[in-house]
Amino acid sequence: MNNSLKELQENLLHLPPTDPKRRAAAIPAMQALQAELGCLDDAAIERIAQITGLSTTEAEELATFYSLIYRRPVGRHIVRICDSVCCSMRGADQLLIAAEKYIRTPLGTVTPNGALTVLPGICLGLCDKAPAALVDGEALGPLNNVSLEALLQRILQEN
Amino acid sequence: MEALLTRYLDPVAPLNLVAYQATGGYRGLTAAFDLKPEKIIDIVEAANLRGRGGAGFPCGLKWRLRGADAPSPRYLICNLDESEPGTFKDRYLLYGSPHQIIEAIIVSAFALQVERAFIFVRGEYAKGGNALNQAIQEAETAGLLGTNIGGSGFNLQIEAHLSGGRYICGEETAQINAIEGRRPNPRPKIPRPSTHGLWGQPTTSNNVETLINVPHILLNGADWFRDLGVNGGCGSKLFCVSGKVQHPGLFELPCGTPARELIFEYAGGLDEGRTLLGFLPGGASTAFLLPEHLDVPMDFDPMAEAGSRLGTGSIIVLDDATCPVKVTLNLMRFFARESCGFCTPCRDGLPYLVQILTSISSGEGQADDLELLDELSTTIASQSFCAFAPGAVMPLVSSLKCFHEHYEHHVTAGHCRFDKTVKDKT
Repeated sequence: MNNSLKELQENLLHLPPTDPKRRAAAIPAMQALQAELGCLDDAAIERIAQITGLSTTEAEELATFYSLIYRRPVGRHIVRICDSVCCSMRGADQLLIAAEKYIRTPLGTVTPNGALTVLPGICLGLCDKAPAALVDGEALGPLNNVSLEALLQRILQEN
Repeated sequence: MEALLTRYLDPVAPLNLVAYQATGGYRGLTAAFDLKPEKIIDIVEAANLRGRGGAGFPCGLKWRLRGADAPSPRYLICNLDESEPGTFKDRYLLYGSPHQIIEAIIVSAFALQVERAFIFVRGEYAKGGNALNQAIQEAETAGLLGTNIGGSGFNLQIEAHLSGGRYICGEETAQINAIEGRRPNPRPKIPRPSTHGLWGQPTTSNNVETLINVPHILLNGADWFRDLGVNGGCGSKLFCVSGKVQHPGLFELPCGTPARELIFEYAGGLDEGRTLLGFLPGGASTAFLLPEHLDVPMDFDPMAEAGSRLGTGSIIVLDDATCPVKVTLNLMRFFARESCGFCTPCRDGLPYLVQILTSISSGEGQADDLELLDELSTTIASQSFCAFAPGAVMPLVSSLKCFHEHYEHHVTAGHCRFDKTVKDKT
């Protein structure tokens, strides 16, 4: 965790491709590369394969399995609104509809100015703050339509 | 009850090493180093500390079964991949007191004579993971991690692994695959991780809440720990209460505290004028219980006898203004989405259940759909590879029983009585 890509490369590239340390670095390497690029494009997947000794297919298989590894472009800011049971009972379904309407961009895609992606997410472990969201990793809740729109507006105007 | 597990928590400014030590932290480590590893396992076994991640397996027995003569290298995994809907206790531990977690891991690793431990941190808890890494570095600098810790001759390295984010990674063997950099499908249960875990070596996995009890048990004794519980329960327990209550939150109370106390005293009860329809006692993958179960002790065996599970001890409350069909549909959507996709009954069966439930929920269901849901649930649970699908259908099967009239109403009237926008069939 918190490994830079450069450190990972230095520690791994001299090891044989079958060394278990290389495979075990797949997710940290993806997280490090994603921190640089925003999302992992095909070239990034190739690079992960090179660092970890995995085949491109294996790297792709891992990347697409995880919900926090992005294979498609995302905005500079990511708002993940929880849509699981406690948040849903407290109005998350309406929040997701309101968010999509407000940003006039489908969930999971990037706003035209590149600032924002809003995603529905599984339970974020914020049930005591329901309905809740993670805004660039920071917990926020309980939200209502007004506070959510203020948040989205602030993000959209910042960029 | 005096706060035990939440004593050191400060989510705004977690204690650094010096402050944690000043308030009594790392005393459990000193106590551990005065004991022989097998004696620690004896004490934990005598304390009847049961796994807090959901399964309730006795921690001391798990440690004993791995065997003192297990071949090296051996590994310990602290499971902090909390993703069960309704559960947020481990988040408080991570963000509130990372040194408490590190101390617990050192003590447990010493008991197990493990020299390399992993903390598997939920991807969404990345900020807490950063604080944890800082705390690990502090502990390393202070000589609490590394070689010959405190002159004991014991060596330990702790690594935090930040998950890429999937519910299944909380499953013991899927988590092992995830740490190894493999696709996190659950593995066959034989051979067991205790003999063939991480990289084929003996591996012990415990939930973080389970582990943080251990230093306290060593400091105060097994009898003291057992006596902390009420109504037959042992020890202190972190309970979460959320859903339709006035003050959702985390409450540390004696294990065995009934749900009535948690919901109505600690979580402030329901909204004005509302009555309790039912509740999930231990997170999303447990069976619904009814108001008649409010006085059942929140403990492993009594919950099983009532037809549910203590699970993570996370109560999700439904009031009489909540449609239980809609809630169940939400739960099943969650499980269908989070299935790892490895085995067909789970991968294809859960979306099939969602499809039927969606139809019922929107007033398009048929009378025989209810029987079909029940039958499919049994087939999916019995034919799937791991414990995910049996857990996934638990709320559905119990929901069909507990709230049968609501399902009947959707099917016969063609609408949800809570949603007037759905047109009546008649």
